[in-house]
Amino acid sequence: MSQKVLVVDDDQDVRSFVVTVLEENQYMPLVAQDGIEGLEMIEKEKPDLVILDVLMPRGSGIRLYRKMKTDKDLEKIPIIMFTGIALRSFLKSQKALDEFKGGKVPEPDIYLEKPVEPEELVAAIKKKLG
Amino acid sequence: MSANKILIVDDEEIIVRLLSMSLRSDGYETLAAYSGEQGLEVFKSESPDIVVTDIKMPGMDGLELLKKIKEINSEKEVIIVTGHGDIDSTITALQYGASDFINKPVRDESLAIALERAKAKIAIREKLKEYTENLEIKIAEATEEIRRKSNFQRLLIKSSNDAIVAFDHDWKVVVYNPEAARIFGETAKDVRNKMTIDDLYTPKIAKIFKNQAKIEKQENTFAWRENIINTKDGRQIPVRYNSNVLHEKGDFVGTVSFFQDLTEIKRLEKELVQSERLAAVGQTVSGLAHYVKNILIGLQGGSYVVDVGIAKNNTEKFKTGWKTIKRNIKRVGDLTRDLLTYSKQREPEFEDCQPNDIVNEVIELVKDFVGSKDILISKDFDNSIGEVVADPQTIHRSLLNLITNAIDACVEDEDTSKKHEIKVKTYMDNNNYFCFEVKDNGCGMDKDTQKQLFDPMFSSKGGKGTGLGLLVTSKLIEEHNGVIETKTSPGDGSAFTIKLPYEKANTVDIN
Repeated sequence: MSQKVLVVDDDQDVRSFVVTVLEENQYMPLVAQDGIEGLEMIEKEKPDLVILDVLMPRGSGIRLYRKMKTDKDLEKIPIIMFTGIALRSFLKSQKALDEFKGGKVPEPDIYLEKPVEPEELVAAIKKKLG
Repeated sequence: MSANKILIVDDEEIIVRLLSMSLRSDGYETLAAYSGEQGLEVFKSESPDIVVTDIKMPGMDGLELLKKIKEINSEKEVIIVTGHGDIDSTITALQYGASDFINKPVRDESLAIALERAKAKIAIREKLKEYTENLEIKIAEATEEIRRKSNFQRLLIKSSNDAIVAFDHDWKVVVYNPEAARIFGETAKDVRNKMTIDDLYTPKIAKIFKNQAKIEKQENTFAWRENIINTKDGRQIPVRYNSNVLHEKGDFVGTVSFFQDLTEIKRLEKELVQSERLAAVGQTVSGLAHYVKNILIGLQGGSYVVDVGIAKNNTEKFKTGWKTIKRNIKRVGDLTRDLLTYSKQREPEFEDCQPNDIVNEVIELVKDFVGSKDILISKDFDNSIGEVVADPQTIHRSLLNLITNAIDACVEDEDTSKKHEIKVKTYMDNNNYFCFEVKDNGCGMDKDTQKQLFDPMFSSKGGKGTGLGLLVTSKLIEEHNGVIETKTSPGDGSAFTIKLPYEKANTVDIN
């Protein structure tokens, strides 16, 4: 059975792009439109990988990333950040939250800044899923 | 000058000698003649101040001598020496202008009195002459001073950079300087002393001035006002003007008004607004770049999906990708249009149109988009608005922007328990504006967001907004002399109201 990859992005255009890339590489795509829907899908479907946008209405990627990294059941699920926001801005907001909430959330090991060529995205997925 | 030289004329030598002696001892200088003819000769050569002459002499008598002397110089004093009861001669002498009479035999006292009287007359006449001469000089000087001053004032008025127009108490133009001629486009020749306030000014300005004159009892200035002057040759000149009502001893004597041409200032103001706007666009290139990047992402993703569709002969994929591309092409179009609208000066294009119909069109346009989002759009139209004179483009684009924003506010709302609704309402307000209200119960805005709402390139929508929408809308509304108002509360939603000046369409057929 092919591996399940969840795309969490509010942009319809981005979702259809990533879904196509996944299908072309024999993964099974799942989609969610925002952070809240994303968390529901993760808990229900237990995907093998999450491709996560940062800026979204209703539960941003910043929050969902934090939730997953601080949840025992979810922290093992690999995440690819896939966003228009610069890494620096993302780390800054995580650091601010670290200080506010205490503790330290690890930095994402794969952070892709849109726009991304399909090959680049595939390479990142393969790196995580083998 | 004192009258000191006296000519004595008598055919009796002894009398001449006695009188001369007596007068010389009183300090006079005397001349003697023994006949009328001789007297006249001496008078001509010596020009004495006073002549004392006997009336009865052989040859030229005293009356004849008197007449001749008066003919030569009417100002000379002639004293006539007469016998008793010679009334006829006395009257004739008076008619000829004799100054006094003394009776024979001549007594020193009466001669002295007559001489004193003659001297006093001469003195008065001289004084009078002096005064008259002085007065003439003074009048000439004063006239010159007045001429100089009025000339100076005339030059002042003429050279003023303000247009100066003054009216007399009958509202006739009495002062009209070259700058006034330039602003009003009428020559001074055609205006001064010919036109009245109603001929020169617009009815509106004329009325203001006339009312002012009625109210003000004292000389009074009123605040500077602005208006547009339509010149004779069809130019429109924006002016700033003020006026004084002139009173003299409590009576209304006229008004004077000053106009300043604001064309240049208005042009500079416009230029400034324009350059600020361009600067704002420039400043926010990064915000713009972000938006363009999102479009690029869409286009790249879309073309990849299309490629896959072609390669795999998968129509579904092809359609999905193509939709993405089209959507992003539209985004480029919208952005370009917004940028152009924002950076360019645009005059509204007024025509007869039905605001309610336009709102309907806009709602139809967004309906497809909204359908998938579970948001209800309701309408509440005031049909009394009917047909108006307005720019349909302004209404269409403003409403589209506000309704799109309202949809986004509902989509962004984290409270999913809400039944989201957008209410679009039209109505007439009490200040003769027709109004559009777009009210949503979406996420609302906090104070900071609200403050930056009309700033260029500020977007609360992350990369999905150009940051131009409300800016363009407010610019369009401003150009239409309208206002835009905002009410919002975080979590409860927002209401935007556009108010445009109401002008009923002229539906009368042109036949």
